Amino acid sequence: MNEVVVDCYGEACPIPIVKSEKALADMAVGDLLIVQIDHSCAMKNVPEWAREQGYNVEVEEIDDGEWEVFIEKTK
Amino acid sequence: MSTDSNTKKVKFFDKLKKDEFYKQLFKNPLTYVGAAVFLSILQMITLASTGNPWGVSGVLAYWGAWGFEALGGSVDKWYYFSSQGAQNVLNNGFLNHAPTWRNLGIIFGAAAAALLASGFKFKKIKSKRQVIAASLGGLLMGYGARLAYGCNIGALYSGIASLSVSGWVFAVGMFFGAIVGSKLLVKYFM
Repeated sequence: MNEVVVDCYGEACPIPIVKSEKALADMAVGDLLIVQIDHSCAMKNVPEWAREQGYNVEVEEIDDGEWEVFIEKTK
Repeated sequence: MSTDSNTKKVKFFDKLKKDEFYKQLFKNPLTYVGAAVFLSILQMITLASTGNPWGVSGVLAYWGAWGFEALGGSVDKWYYFSSQGAQNVLNNGFLNHAPTWRNLGIIFGAAAAALLASGFKFKKIKSKRQVIAASLGGLLMGYGARLAYGCNIGALYSGIASLSVSGWVFAVGMFFGAIVGSKLLVKYFM
């Protein structure tokens, strides 16, 4: 299982989603994508989008206004 | 402050962080529908109490004019501010302009909401390109909003809410503008 980290600090919507989509396209089933965000809208729409795709998603608040979204590519 | 009261303080915030009421009230964002209902109620109150529909960006033009005047400039001859109404607003000043207070409320309210959710952060600027794009985008949006007599609030939201066709025309233009904008974004920022 590989881990891919995408740094989206300082990036506004919809860049985090587009970057996540691109990263996931190159990943194998079972790999884990970690999207780092500090944009509260992305904290809502990145997990929503990933769940819609059918991936396993978890959000962790790592600091004030900073989150890591864990997306497991399940298919 | 003694270390004892410091640890007490830390404990208080650790407990608060896990409190369900705190999370529901301040931390978790509203659903899109919930926020839309709230906004609709507030814009009805705005229309009923002030007689004018909700607008945001027109106020910013006045802020610019006041700023320009404070620096010694004059906008008396500018076409945009030539109406008697606009001149009255400018002469009455910043503090007597109700929509100005509403915009300040939005700014400080948003900051307060971010602070209460402990989500406030000074974001780092990633690249020069980001600065250029943000400045250019801001200028284009501001200029476009004045040409269209409103932004996505004054022209679109309040337009449609007032059963005006112009709001729908604005929506069509904004939709295609957003498509072009997204394409440019993917081309230059990915």
